[in-house]
Amino acid sequence: MALPLEMPPRVRAAMNTSKASPMYNLRSSIASTGSTTSLTSLFAGTGASLPRDIVDDIKSVIHHAFVPHIAVHVSDDVDEVVREKGLPDFYQLIRPYGEKVQGRITARDSQGSSVPFEDFAVRFVRLSDVAQKPDRKGSTSGNSFRNGEYGGAGIPEAINSEELPLADELLDLHLSHAEELIDTNLATETENHTGQAYYLLYLRKILSGFPVTLHETWAHPVACLIAISSRNTTPLDTLRQLYKSGSEVNIPGYVNKEYLRYYVLVHDEDKDDIVKSTALFEQMKRHFGLHCHLIRLRSSMCIVSDEDSVPVAKSQWLPASEELAELHAHQEEDIESDTSSRFIHGSDEAAIKTMIREMVAQSVIPFMERNIASWNDQILSRRKGIGGRVLSFSRRFLGSTATRSATNSATASNFDSVTNSYDPMTPEAQMRKLADWSFMLRDWKLAYDVYNTIRTDFNNDKAWLHVAGAQEMTIISLLLTGQPITPKIRADTIDIYLDAACYSYVTRFRAIYAALRCLLVTVELLRLAGGSSAELAAKWAIKALDLNIRPTVGRALISQRVGDCYAVRQGAGSGGWGGRRRKAAMWHVLAAETWIRLGKFAQARHCIDVAMPKYANTEFVLIRRFVEQMKLDSGHVNLLDLKIDTGVGGTGGQVVEVGNREGEEEEEEEEHGDGEVEKPRFDGKRRSILIPQTPNGDAPGMMTMDESFDDGPL
Amino acid sequence: MAGSSTSYYFVIIGTKDNPLYEAEFGTFKQGGDGIPKFREEQRHMNQFIAHSSLDCIEDQQWASKEMYLKTVDKFNNTWVSCFLTGGNIKFLLVHDTRSDEPIRQFFADVYDLYCKTLMNPFYEVNMAIRSQTFDQKIKAAAKKYL
Repeated sequence: MALPLEMPPRVRAAMNTSKASPMYNLRSSIASTGSTTSLTSLFAGTGASLPRDIVDDIKSVIHHAFVPHIAVHVSDDVDEVVREKGLPDFYQLIRPYGEKVQGRITARDSQGSSVPFEDFAVRFVRLSDVAQKPDRKGSTSGNSFRNGEYGGAGIPEAINSEELPLADELLDLHLSHAEELIDTNLATETENHTGQAYYLLYLRKILSGFPVTLHETWAHPVACLIAISSRNTTPLDTLRQLYKSGSEVNIPGYVNKEYLRYYVLVHDEDKDDIVKSTALFEQMKRHFGLHCHLIRLRSSMCIVSDEDSVPVAKSQWLPASEELAELHAHQEEDIESDTSSRFIHGSDEAAIKTMIREMVAQSVIPFMERNIASWNDQILSRRKGIGGRVLSFSRRFLGSTATRSATNSATASNFDSVTNSYDPMTPEAQMRKLADWSFMLRDWKLAYDVYNTIRTDFNNDKAWLHVAGAQEMTIISLLLTGQPITPKIRADTIDIYLDAACYSYVTRFRAIYAALRCLLVTVELLRLAGGSSAELAAKWAIKALDLNIRPTVGRALISQRVGDCYAVRQGAGSGGWGGRRRKAAMWHVLAAETWIRLGKFAQARHCIDVAMPKYANTEFVLIRRFVEQMKLDSGHVNLLDLKIDTGVGGTGGQVVEVGNREGEEEEEEEEHGDGEVEKPRFDGKRRSILIPQTPNGDAPGMMTMDESFDDGPL
Repeated sequence: MAGSSTSYYFVIIGTKDNPLYEAEFGTFKQGGDGIPKFREEQRHMNQFIAHSSLDCIEDQQWASKEMYLKTVDKFNNTWVSCFLTGGNIKFLLVHDTRSDEPIRQFFADVYDLYCKTLMNPFYEVNMAIRSQTFDQKIKAAAKKYL
């Protein structure tokens, strides 16, 4: 993994946990102990709050999900240059570098103070992917879209991303690989393989392929990068043509076409003359203004042995479909050629990073700031002004019923109920865009205010999809503002809006993807808030389970997450009053059951390990029998057999136990960490380990598990 | 969840999360025969649900001055009702229909029976209750109210 060194360690850890594929990134993922250590301390935490870097891991996933999309539209000769380097096209070349814009990016918020971001990101998409497609393009594009002809009455199929089953499939593949590696002892069963790493990966995959939808503007392009190369014989004409063809691309009507155009001249360092290119570049600047960039790339192929060769960065935010396709391709030709690690010249990498940095810092962000400011001035404040005036006027003279009809007739005209969308130039659409953009620039407070305002507008228009989208984002931006979540907010805002949004998404539009995304993001943020919010998180995560009945990897991951949510709630005092440890244990057992059904035994073993301390000494017969059966099914039993031998046979039990424990240290290393959780609970019972109490006549082996959970003098 | 007719899972849980007495029975209302109709995979789930609802009981036991805490927890389509004795012994009933009043009466009877068990000089707190008479009387109470 070519990770820039200046990255703060937590960001690096976050990237590592979501490794692209266990096949080739295994080493780096094991090496990154950042999240491992923090995961164990998660359970040891005394208060309700999670450790900082876990918070940052999850927040960074959420921050990086909602980023500006930049369309890429290049001439054929640019792709030709890149192909000579041995890469498929220009878009593929620059995409990974958009995920981490070099250096610090500063944006001004609505108060006028500038906020620095260390980890700003943009997402590149092909312009043609934004465009409307007559039919779905198999599995090649995450942004494929269809409208009208299937939905009838404007109910868009597009809001249902096809990524969902693919994300399941991808995770399935990843986990199978992990299982193989564990089975062949290539990898130890570490936290990275079984812990929340896969959940984060799942979340990231769900958030990575936002479809172009009509009720939100995440995937609508903020800017378009138009590029030609120095080989082009008619450069200015080609640029004009690209501009024209770019505008003529069949973009859905609700996407605002007034995005920023950024012109790039790709100079071929190896074949062309820089003097000529500079002259051309000057000409470009004269014609197209300041949003231009000259990038110097070498067209020659780069191989490992070259002096300044660097591997091409791997995209962390590949949509599941693309990553699947890549993995399948990889499997087919795995031995002969390692296509996944190509190399480019170090100078090229630097040039691309500089270009993206310059584009984002000097063109895209100012463009967004300018628009936010002007929409804020012109639309938001005006609407508030007029709305307020009308309201107070009518309240005084007409009574409250008249108010509703008055606002209705005033705004109903903007909503097109045939296509179920707003025209991009209407105030409503622009306000939504204002909210989304300020969200992208992480001005949560402004975003929250605007979402709150437009929600009522949409509601008056009965634009249910838009209402649901605004409700979803109201909650998310509210949680991100970091203001304390009082029980009142929980009950009046979060619970009600989430419920309404889910109802709209699922029942009215069958938009399972949108509902799932909404729930999972909220669940994560609530979980981070800790305390009773974590319980609410668990409640909504359970709701998310209802969306998907089949036992897929996603379902198993989510049920495991329910357990994690409950585990965050620790309770007070030594007895842990008010904690949710039993619930956490139950959900981990349920997750383990699903994992076993899916044949992912390493995951199941991990879940059992987490749940075990709670059930090790239980006197519930059926629970014991069930957990025992699960251990057998998941291959957990080897360890157990070993312990029974020592437990029953050894009269000098203590000595044998110690020796035995040392032998197992290696495999138990990670699980040991989790065991510490329940340490206080077991201290009192340790003596009974070797003389198992079996009032119900069950196998004495059950008791022995907690040995491994005890804290040995390691 | 529990077949066609309503079924109940009743458990008395001691202070150390240990079950003292367990019983399953079906309803006698609407021509029921009193035989529990739990599917095999539901039977262990009942125990899981009862066990995990202890978390909620620990939360709610301080908020109510009643011993009968009504419905304390819900898992999918099953509810858990709880009655908390003075000695922190919990009576839990896992059920799939909501009916507060009959359950309260049932718990009241069970509480009487439990107190009588406590009076037995050979019985100590947190000991499993194995008396057949107790079992029969619980079943009779169930037949009467549930």
